[in-house]
Amino acid sequence: MSPELVFQQALNGLSFGALLFILASGLSLVFGMMDVVNLAHGAFYMLGAYVALSVVQSTGSFWLAMLAAPLALGVLGFVLEPLLLRRLRGRHLDQVLLTIGVSLVIVDVIGQVWGREVRSLSAPAGLDGSVTLIGGVYPVYRLFVMAFGVALAAAMAVVYRRTRIGMLIRAGVQDAEMLGALGVNTNRLFASTFATGAALAGLAGVIAAPVFGVQPGMDIDPGLLYSLVVVVVGGLGTLSGAVAGSVLVGPADTFGKVLFQDVALAVIFAIVALVLLLKPTGLLGRIRIAR
Amino acid sequence: MAVLRWALVGAAAVALVTFPYWSAPWVSRFATTLVRDALILAIFALSLDLLVGRAGMPSLGHAAFFGAGAYAAGITGQRLATDQLPVTLGAAALVGALLALIIGVLVVRSEGIFFLMLTLALAQIVFAIAFQWTALTGGSNGLSGLDFSAPDLMYVLVAITFVLAALVIWGLGRSPYGRALSGVRENERRMRALGYDTARLRLSAFVIAGTIAGIAGALSAYSTRFVSAQDAGLANSVRAFVTVLVGGAGTLGGPIVGSALVSLIERVVPSLLPTDLRISQAILGLVFIFFVLFARQGMVGLGRSAYQRVQHR
Repeated sequence: MSPELVFQQALNGLSFGALLFILASGLSLVFGMMDVVNLAHGAFYMLGAYVALSVVQSTGSFWLAMLAAPLALGVLGFVLEPLLLRRLRGRHLDQVLLTIGVSLVIVDVIGQVWGREVRSLSAPAGLDGSVTLIGGVYPVYRLFVMAFGVALAAAMAVVYRRTRIGMLIRAGVQDAEMLGALGVNTNRLFASTFATGAALAGLAGVIAAPVFGVQPGMDIDPGLLYSLVVVVVGGLGTLSGAVAGSVLVGPADTFGKVLFQDVALAVIFAIVALVLLLKPTGLLGRIRIAR
Repeated sequence: MAVLRWALVGAAAVALVTFPYWSAPWVSRFATTLVRDALILAIFALSLDLLVGRAGMPSLGHAAFFGAGAYAAGITGQRLATDQLPVTLGAAALVGALLALIIGVLVVRSEGIFFLMLTLALAQIVFAIAFQWTALTGGSNGLSGLDFSAPDLMYVLVAITFVLAALVIWGLGRSPYGRALSGVRENERRMRALGYDTARLRLSAFVIAGTIAGIAGALSAYSTRFVSAQDAGLANSVRAFVTVLVGGAGTLGGPIVGSALVSLIERVVPSLLPTDLRISQAILGLVFIFFVLFARQGMVGLGRSAYQRVQHR
């Protein structure tokens, strides 16, 4: 590979990594707080993309979609947590199974409402061009994605470290039961956490749409599979783990696809299996393992 | 009593195997296809339940073995230009067993949600290989044109395999081996303290389940005359899992009635709905959510508690 190509692919990898962070941060947050691997995360991501599609079609504004989709998904998450997951509090595996059912319903409803064709959403005006960067043209939208991912990570870090909500989240990740005993309303905390996770998935759906497209099957690939890969590699349930996972998996996947076209998919999941075997908590995971 | 029970089971088995012949006057050929596919799902689900219900290993990657078996049968059948069942079904069983041995060695030491994610990830590797190794598997086009010299006998082959698989799973459940697996599910540490090699127990269950799933995959390949990477995909693993839980994990009848219900929802309910309403997966999801929330023991559990209530009256 020529140096220009390496640079180009490195940029691609990093912008893919930024997308992965937006996608995986919600899954990681929910796992950290509730010990639930939300297998409907990919379906939430897909729903976010389709809501964005409708918003853009009716208002023409991508930016409005970027507000509306997370909001819609947040409301859905805020309703689903007390309606379903709360009934099985403490039974983590059954909660995970519930999310499988939720995912089946959401994906089919999307197919029914929006149809089952491949759709596309173009980048908003102003970001749909490209710029010349070291020996090649590069889409502006990918640079925007990268900046957005970094900004989101920074914002989340500030919230985690400097605010009361962040303190509650950190305490909840440590020991949610204890937090409840100390008088915090864990019901509301869990519902808010799940809603935030869903909203982040919806946000990822909007931002990824111009890059990955909007089509049936996107709930599994890239939605669920890649967000699982990121949090498993980086470490379940911590912000730094989600960052590390995305920064590693984004470029690894991009270069994997360039270097070993035929086995790229297998390579990435082989990495996951290896990490899970050698360090089941992920590279930066500190959290106990839910059984 | 025991004799009577066996006579009833035998009669039911014979009735099942000969279904297309005695049912012809009343139902269409579609019924035979439907029952055949439900029986294949039942074999697949029975094998998964050996892990989920019996040994307490919640695998979300069981389709890997189903898909591997389907490809094994399809590829050996085409390359060797044979439809000799001992060859193709044997290849499917062997490949299913070997793959389960490889994946099993990697996963049997983890538990719960981690077991679930590991099996999912490793099955995804199998899916990726099936999807991308075009020269061997046909890639995204899949393998088509699998022929079986006697298509009319396909149903009979499936039904006999189902009866045998159910017998094997039933026998395993009653054997000391099956009891040991239940022990591993209930309390692994105690089993280890009692001197059982629990990792080996779990691994052997994984291999047996993989073998049977491989055979189910081969039967599916012959029945639909098509193998696709989706056979090894996450959606198929989820389908088997839903079947087991809805029917009732840890019981012999559960995966069987579960596959009947899932087949009804997937194949019969859509024909009752308006054609532009394709929501069978959503219905399946709602049914699944209902059982996880309110009837974790599945249809068999519901039946049992209803029976007990009647008796107590």
